Amino acid sequence: MKLFIFAWHPTPRMQGNTSAVKADNQKNNTMNYPYGKAAFFILLMALVTGTAHFAVSFRRQVEKPDLVMAIFAPNHEEAYRAVLGEFEEQHGVKVQLQLVSQRALQSRLQSALLTGADVPDLVELLEGTIGFFARGPLEDVGFVDLTDRLHAEGIYDRMVPSRFSLWSSRGRIFALPNDVHPVTLAYRRDLIEELGIDVDQIETWDDFVAMGRSVVQDLTGDGNFDRYALDTPLGGIAVIRILLLQRGGQLFDEQGGVAFDTELTADTIAWYVRQTTGPDRIGYDAGWGQSLAKAMNDGLVLFYFCPDWRTKQFEMDVPNLKGKLGLMPLPAWEPGGRRTSTWGGTGLAITKASERQELAWELAKFLYLNEEELSARFRATNIISPLKDSWSAPVLDEERAFYGGQAIGRLLADLAPQTPPTYISPYSNLAQNKLAEVYLGAVAYYNRHGEAGLKEHIRKELTAQADYVRRVIDRNVFLQTDEGGAQ
Amino acid sequence: MKGSRKRAITPWVFLGPYLILTAVFFVYPFINSIWLAFHQTNGPRSAVFVGLSNFRFVLSDPDFYTAVKNTSIYAVVSVMIQLPLSLGLAMLLNSGKSRVRNLFRLILFSPHLVGQIFVGILFSVIFTPRYGLFNRGLQELVGWGLEERWLANPSLVMPALIIVSMWLYVGFNMIYFLAALQSVDKNLLDAAHVDGASPMQTFRHVIIPQIKAVAIFVVVMSTIGSYQLFELPYALLGGFGPNNSGLTIVGYLYSTAFETGDLGTGAAIGWLLAFVIFIISTIQIKLAKVE
Repeated sequence: MKLFIFAWHPTPRMQGNTSAVKADNQKNNTMNYPYGKAAFFILLMALVTGTAHFAVSFRRQVEKPDLVMAIFAPNHEEAYRAVLGEFEEQHGVKVQLQLVSQRALQSRLQSALLTGADVPDLVELLEGTIGFFARGPLEDVGFVDLTDRLHAEGIYDRMVPSRFSLWSSRGRIFALPNDVHPVTLAYRRDLIEELGIDVDQIETWDDFVAMGRSVVQDLTGDGNFDRYALDTPLGGIAVIRILLLQRGGQLFDEQGGVAFDTELTADTIAWYVRQTTGPDRIGYDAGWGQSLAKAMNDGLVLFYFCPDWRTKQFEMDVPNLKGKLGLMPLPAWEPGGRRTSTWGGTGLAITKASERQELAWELAKFLYLNEEELSARFRATNIISPLKDSWSAPVLDEERAFYGGQAIGRLLADLAPQTPPTYISPYSNLAQNKLAEVYLGAVAYYNRHGEAGLKEHIRKELTAQADYVRRVIDRNVFLQTDEGGAQ
Repeated sequence: MKGSRKRAITPWVFLGPYLILTAVFFVYPFINSIWLAFHQTNGPRSAVFVGLSNFRFVLSDPDFYTAVKNTSIYAVVSVMIQLPLSLGLAMLLNSGKSRVRNLFRLILFSPHLVGQIFVGILFSVIFTPRYGLFNRGLQELVGWGLEERWLANPSLVMPALIIVSMWLYVGFNMIYFLAALQSVDKNLLDAAHVDGASPMQTFRHVIIPQIKAVAIFVVVMSTIGSYQLFELPYALLGGFGPNNSGLTIVGYLYSTAFETGDLGTGAAIGWLLAFVIFIISTIQIKLAKVE
């Protein structure tokens, strides 16, 4: 305390008078801190923060759970928390759930895996991210290779095989798929009925476009269309990918080679450009969040690409449209063709650094393969599990008031087996960006020249961008080492 | 002996924390970034020496030149539009009453307190087609712009970025100019007035020379800041925009190093950026000295 009081007053030392300091020291025995008040406060702060840090670390150590699981989806957290108690009781362990935003989760996990810092035992990953973590040699992937377990325990055969492609690299599977995410079209049931449209008659995209052209209108006479047929979100690339997958196209092949410079991709982009550009367009980007909700409420757009996860999002974001929405399968590209695609995905990976990998695997199976739990989760999230046994659950036949009494679970489950695989590469994001560049270039071309030469222009751009992605991939010496040549 | 040893050790005790922190957070990363620029890595366990390959790739990558072009356009416009506006506002405030001056200074400076991420998110809503405040305002004022996709149309992305950055930085730079204007010698201004100098002549021959040092500082700092632009376009566009129209050099670095995971090429981009900033700043300072 005396030291503290001393520190508030300038001393002779601070004034540069050393002889006076000695005299002052002799006079005042309490003045035993010789470096002045600034240094004293620095020391004090260091002591306080050091003690606080020690206390917090000690507390954390005391509370250390047996398993830590990191997730990014709040509705998953809610669903898992509801059942974790049962798992903890069964195994006599403590499980900690950590909810982290997706972007933060990926960057933190990336840094932690690269530097060998602490990582969770289990992590839920977003579609595409496994490619990032698998950009080096297979033995450097920070997640446990689940391939042999999945086959040995018969789990692989119980799930939709196409969903493992999202979590695979060079033939090895690194996560358990959580979902199928079959894509449908959600539509404003009330407005469609008012317009006298029978969605059962829309079987192909040609049918849809014909219907779409009849509904796009400037209702107020201000020169802007006030009603569009189809929502084309996220600058178009999300939809192009959905459509491409529906047609059997891919950005990458199963071995990780670039596969988007094809006639099928060129044709899909050209089709999409025609629907989103020029006076005959039927598509409108209604955006996301609030602007999407407003567009839906206003009836600005009538049909929306809608995977299973989005059906729940609509229930939460536009509750006042209860009873006014419906779901229909995607129109096919040719009569009798595939009526769905896929959009998004989550998978559960076990980190190699986990000291309790077997327990983590048990938790993964408990959360992803427990049919009773999956029924409850479907009710909470509308997400269809890739576990085929779960599709016979009565919950899928429940009629949903929000969708005008439609049994959306049954529709989604019926479409689930048709979902196409999505092959992933460390360069998926790059390829997607390059595909977006091709699309935007095609839009500019179409605005200038119309239909003449559009396909040739797209083909040329696709070739150039695919070659660019190949060049980037070829630089990855780790993939070359692994395979004896870049993929 | 004991006292002299204590005297010798004492400075190191005080300097120690600073030296340790500098070594850990500046010297080591600095040296490591040089090492990284010549390697391809996949975590600390896997590193392969690739010589100049990272630099060669960057210098032959069209995306790098897109990033340089975007960043340079942004930097030039920042200096050419923002700074005259900042100076003009500072002069307006400098001529006003002190109470009004303080109020407007706070109002104009306050956007800068918010931060780039928040501003990016805020303006992404303001620029929403059909429903956004900016689009609605344009439609009401000039009968155009309701459906314009400021953040999805490649040719509108840069104007949108510049509009947002003006809102964010004009007030901030104004503070520097206001401080400089307030330190202009009143006697010189009085002398110019007595000698019959016009306001323009006073500005050109009295005020400019007096605030020149601050103006050079603001120009150089704005240029450096512009070349380090990242958070604003990333938050505003949710990435780098259509056709990479919002891709900046630091954005390109981030994408390469942290989205693709190629830290070596990321380090090479960092060194190229440092080189670009050094050259431009040197030219600016030399030009200012010549004048």
